[in-house]
Amino acid sequence: MSQSPAPSPRLLKLGVLAATVAMLAALGLFALTLDARDRTDAGTRLVVTAEGCRPETLNVPAGDTTFTIVNASDRAIEWEILDGVMVLEERENIAPGLHQPLTARLAPGDYTMTCGLLSNPRGTLHVTANDEAAPVARLARQDFIGALAEYKVYLTLQGRRLTDAADTLHQAIAAGDLGSARAAYRRARLIDQRLAMATGLFSDLDQRLNARASDFARRENDPQFVGFQRLAHSLFTAGSTEGLAPVAAQLGEDARTLTTRLRQASIPPARLADGSARALQVWLDHSGDPGADQSALDARERLDLRGLTQGADKIVALLDPLLKRRAPPLRQRLHDALDTLEKALPDSTTAGDGADRDALVADTRALADTLQELNPALALNG
Amino acid sequence: MSSRSLLIAAAAFGLMALQGPARADVEPEALVEPVAEYKLYVLDNLDAFVGHTRDFTRAIEAGELERAQSLYAPTRVYYERIEPVAELFADLDASIDAREDDYEKGVDDPDFTGFHRLEYGLFKQQTTDGLAPYARRLMSDVKDLESRVQGLTFPPAKVVGGAAALMEEVAATKVSGEEDRYSHTDLWDFQGNVDGSQKIFALFKPLIAEEDPAFVERVEDNFAAVEATLAHYRLAANDPEAGFVSYEKVSDKDRRALVGPVTVLAEDLSTLRGKLGL
Repeated sequence: MSQSPAPSPRLLKLGVLAATVAMLAALGLFALTLDARDRTDAGTRLVVTAEGCRPETLNVPAGDTTFTIVNASDRAIEWEILDGVMVLEERENIAPGLHQPLTARLAPGDYTMTCGLLSNPRGTLHVTANDEAAPVARLARQDFIGALAEYKVYLTLQGRRLTDAADTLHQAIAAGDLGSARAAYRRARLIDQRLAMATGLFSDLDQRLNARASDFARRENDPQFVGFQRLAHSLFTAGSTEGLAPVAAQLGEDARTLTTRLRQASIPPARLADGSARALQVWLDHSGDPGADQSALDARERLDLRGLTQGADKIVALLDPLLKRRAPPLRQRLHDALDTLEKALPDSTTAGDGADRDALVADTRALADTLQELNPALALNG
Repeated sequence: MSSRSLLIAAAAFGLMALQGPARADVEPEALVEPVAEYKLYVLDNLDAFVGHTRDFTRAIEAGELERAQSLYAPTRVYYERIEPVAELFADLDASIDAREDDYEKGVDDPDFTGFHRLEYGLFKQQTTDGLAPYARRLMSDVKDLESRVQGLTFPPAKVVGGAAALMEEVAATKVSGEEDRYSHTDLWDFQGNVDGSQKIFALFKPLIAEEDPAFVERVEDNFAAVEATLAHYRLAANDPEAGFVSYEKVSDKDRRALVGPVTVLAEDLSTLRGKLGL
């Protein structure tokens, strides 16, 4: 036995009393969480048994709903609300006997619920539109975080591909391989045009990459004239790689710088649609001139337009969930305008003999105009 | 009822009372960059996951038992890191990572596939016989996962909530050793979950560091405590690739020592969403 002196009886009594009170309090709290009966369960109650959900079908109004999941099976379960295969909300590891609350904000529609074992039948969750509910809240700034983040990822990944393509182009030019250089130019330029809206944020890089001969005093012969248009002039018009190596090397450096800046850029949400419309407008300013005496657009003008359209498509896809909520008719018109243009611009590198120039110009103008309606519809100010 | 669960319940109530209302002084636009960086992190890990899965499943198809066994844990670790995003796809999460307990007929259930079905064959039955179809299915599921994640706009609340979800996962199923019950490679998964959680915390930390330095310090201390315990069980102190000893060799005392900081991390990190206004 230990040698420590016995505590005084008074202290012992106090200790026992304190321990008992603490024990009872804790027991009470624990019982509350464990043993809540129906009347204390918040919101919509759903019991998961060894066989599945009870009831198997739930009907709730759109908006915030609190579910209380009761695990009446003999093993820990997880409960999920699924939209197709996507998990919208879940509670993992609900112990047997527990009542677990979960609050979800749901849009009208049909969803499924997992009910314990994966081999159990799924439950059905009907969310009905609720006319009495407040009208859909205005979009908050939070609503754009996902789209803006995804756009940044897109820009970063495209920037890396642009850098790779520019390096390939540089190698082909250094080797004096005209055919490979032309092919590499097309690959790089398509990516460059997808990024046109974002590149426009940086005037120095935009000029070095995308300026046209007409922007310079001495046009094609101006020493300041570099970038894609300078390369295209030699590769396609003059049919030579001669003297292009420094220009191609600079292009690769600029692509690298662009990628770094895009990763750090902060793009305001209103810029997404406006910037895309503006990039299309620049193309129209050069290629859509009604005075130009051309029956067909040349292959490079169509290539540029294809890149610009793909860039706009990405923007529309990112804003799609918001457009679905706020402006379904505009959303439809945007998809139609994109479809029309994408169908008219097949993935081809041959000159545009078949494409009807006037129709392509009109389709492009329609897309640019529709994009300009987007910010007012989403209540975004530039 | 054990006195430990009482203590945990009491501690949880105490913590909740202390936390008070969540603050949201962070500009929504400030969340764009960390969410984007997190997706890039997930894409890098998925890329490695696809490569490792290819090696792992090829070893199985070639009947190389020992090689397949040695590749099991180093392959899974990538899934464990990105679980908050990967488990958004319910069908693939089930076919890649479900455990036998999720099925009525357990290991014999025809729908039981993925890592844990392969684990059962490789470590319990000690053979690659009959596993080739599961290996092929895993490979195609992992590729499917990669292409779906590439096309996914990450929901910001799920990204931020992922930091706590990963630690809850550790507390719920890793400490007990039930996740990898045949291979006893639980510490690999454990490290994967901790890595994934720390990455999310590190990305959002600059947004709260000034406002809440005490919170940041507590979280970092607890991560350090978990890392220190894990380091104790590494096969080679300076080589993370070497991995960990069998979970059977982790003492009860250390298992209990992990519960504390992991539980507090899960609690603390669950306030991150509120702090960031999500």
